[in-house]
Amino acid sequence: MLDQILHAVEAYLRHTPQGEFLRTAKWGWPIFESLHFTGMSMLLGTVGVFDLRLLGFARRIPIAALHRLIPIGISGFVINLITGFCFLSATPDQYLFNRAFYWKVTFIVIAGLNVMVFYAGVFRRLLETPPDTPPPLAARMAGAVSLLAWIGVMSAGRLLTFFRP
Amino acid sequence: MESFFVWLEATPLSTWLRESPSLWAFPFVLILHTVGLAFFVGANVAWDVRVLGFSMGIPLDALRRYFLVMWAGFWINAVSGVLLLIAYPTKALTNPLFYAKLALIGLGIALALRIRRGVQDVRADSDAPRPARTLAAVSLGCWVAVIFAGRLLAYTCTRLTVDSTC
Repeated sequence: MLDQILHAVEAYLRHTPQGEFLRTAKWGWPIFESLHFTGMSMLLGTVGVFDLRLLGFARRIPIAALHRLIPIGISGFVINLITGFCFLSATPDQYLFNRAFYWKVTFIVIAGLNVMVFYAGVFRRLLETPPDTPPPLAARMAGAVSLLAWIGVMSAGRLLTFFRP
Repeated sequence: MESFFVWLEATPLSTWLRESPSLWAFPFVLILHTVGLAFFVGANVAWDVRVLGFSMGIPLDALRRYFLVMWAGFWINAVSGVLLLIAYPTKALTNPLFYAKLALIGLGIALALRIRRGVQDVRADSDAPRPARTLAAVSLGCWVAVIFAGRLLAYTCTRLTVDSTC
């Protein structure tokens, strides 16, 4: 059953315009990969830096000021969603039947849930705490989960090649 | 050079990195190089966008502590990069793009140090001086070029090892 669904998704994605484009354009794949790494650096450079601050690193930086860098991280994440979806569409069998792909998706989901818990919970209180105070436990937890989840995403992404069907 | 490649590729470390089926060999070194890149370039991104005027409430002298993150990323990548080079010396050293990548990294680091000196007296809530802002824009472009050069290495090599082609 699941196998049939995956094969149907594979057949569909393979013939989408973005899939055909990335499979045939001469330098398409390497350029999209480079963009994927650029998006990753934008994400880790802002969200990762914010996570370190949540853990208590460089406490003199006001959280609200550092938080204003987050839209750059979101832009990086969107670049990576788009380029990533193009990779998936171009060679769907290489991802849909690959364990590392599901690890990567799982880590992205963990990072996403962590973001929701963070904004629903400790974030407001955090904006009011003055710089130079030790962050509350909930904030430190959010920072640690986020950093580990993104390191997991990058590691699983790198392992994709080694788990190809 | 050729005899150096032959010698290096026959060393136990090079052979192990290249041929071991263990995920702790080549795949782990690649993961280190990727995570290191994210923090190395990422810390530069944070620094450059602040100098360019995003989120001026961030005190530059406090953000300076993130140079530690940058250097941590740099050393992770220097070590993992040397390991990748030991695994495939012919592949990298016969590719002109590899030297371009190293030069761009050197330029990126030089720019980061220049920018840091250029904003020494800038407080939170104030603009960085124009020359520092120009350098920060160049720096962002430089890091994107490093990423492209690094990624394209896999597609532009001609020789994989002394006796195999890419």
